[in-house]
Amino acid sequence: MIMNEVLLDIKGLHASVEGKEILHGVDLQIRRGEVHAVMGPNGAGKSTLSAVLTGRPGYEVTAGSVRFAGADLLAMSPEERSWAGLFLSFQYPIEIPGVSMTNFLKAAVSARRKAAGLPDLSAGEFLSLVKQKMALLKMKPEFAKREVNVGFSGGEKKRGEIFQMAMLEPVLSILDETDSGLDVDALKIVADGVNSLKTPQTSSIIITHYHKLLEYIVPDVVHVLKDGVIVKTGGKELADRIEAEGFEGIDG
Amino acid sequence: MDRLVVIGRDELPRKVVLGAGESLRLTVVVPQGVSADIDFTAELTGPGADLDLAGVFVPAGSDTVRIRTLVRHLSGSCRSNQLFRGVADGQSQVSFNGLIYVQRDAQKTEAYQSCNTLLLNEGARVETDPQLEIYADDVVCSHGAAIGYLSEDELFYMRSRGIPFEQARRLQILSFLSPVLSRLPEEYYSLIAF
Repeated sequence: MIMNEVLLDIKGLHASVEGKEILHGVDLQIRRGEVHAVMGPNGAGKSTLSAVLTGRPGYEVTAGSVRFAGADLLAMSPEERSWAGLFLSFQYPIEIPGVSMTNFLKAAVSARRKAAGLPDLSAGEFLSLVKQKMALLKMKPEFAKREVNVGFSGGEKKRGEIFQMAMLEPVLSILDETDSGLDVDALKIVADGVNSLKTPQTSSIIITHYHKLLEYIVPDVVHVLKDGVIVKTGGKELADRIEAEGFEGIDG
Repeated sequence: MDRLVVIGRDELPRKVVLGAGESLRLTVVVPQGVSADIDFTAELTGPGADLDLAGVFVPAGSDTVRIRTLVRHLSGSCRSNQLFRGVADGQSQVSFNGLIYVQRDAQKTEAYQSCNTLLLNEGARVETDPQLEIYADDVVCSHGAAIGYLSEDELFYMRSRGIPFEQARRLQILSFLSPVLSRLPEEYYSLIAF
């Protein structure tokens, strides 16, 4: 694998929801090993961007292209995108009563290994992987036995997302408003988790409208998304400027 | 007493009477491919009688599932709970008719009933008719019936984790049925066939 190779290449992306265009031509390039932040006010199209990249039904791409590790991302189903190494940490993780986190992830990991032509893990191998990842994220063992997101606090849901991310070892992680609803302690735990999963081959997109998370997960590149287009791209200092001045003054 | 009845294999009693302090935990399974016409009455005749009834049905094709329950609280301080979950596929037809009757002097009664069904196919038909007839004033009773579809958000969440479409749907169905399935030994899951 070559470092600094372009991992995600978004060109002229237009997307609509229920016939209304939300993204009006987004261009974005992410190389392996990079952390990018996408910031912007409410309604700018941040969540639409993550939805389109992961193939959420109801979002229609009307123009543009997305290449992911050289392949046509938009032609793939959501599960194929996952198998290719894409991961989304949901802003609002979904509750699945009656299905334990362990069984849920067993299904996910098995499907992924099958798609990669790898043999399935034995129950023992899988459970030791669960243990190892939970230790990495400083999580209590009983967490894996609980029903997926059922009765979780806001912080537990977000940690649960990062745990799933650790289990699936994605190449590109999109963290959609992972900081929303987290207090500083939970934010630090989540950020430590994300930082510990970072490798020179993997990249992440941090979608946020606050500066706070970016103090813990330091981005290489910061983009400002406003009204469905990226109006400015810079380094970490751009996030600092937004913290001081807000989004008002930032235009292309 | 704990009883499991598989329709088509076991006989379901038409009527049970629970006297003072008696309890029955009854789970009814209507396997896929089996049409069922269930008519069940329970009478709670002494204080402390407790009925815990659950049922699961998974009709497909041209299966028909008719369920009528009547729970009669004839004594005070009894408890009954009815929990039905079903998934209707194909051109199947489901009707659920449940009546909770609480006699005039049956105070301190607790009676609950819920029947929730998922429609997997536009051709399937579900009718539910939960009813309460309460003549006592110091009671806690609730009933509810919901008919719905598999959640798109839940499906997408699973697929985004790499769980393929068909398997994700099966997992969703198991999740929906889990309040009843959790009462069964796992070898019975094959009767459900999802």
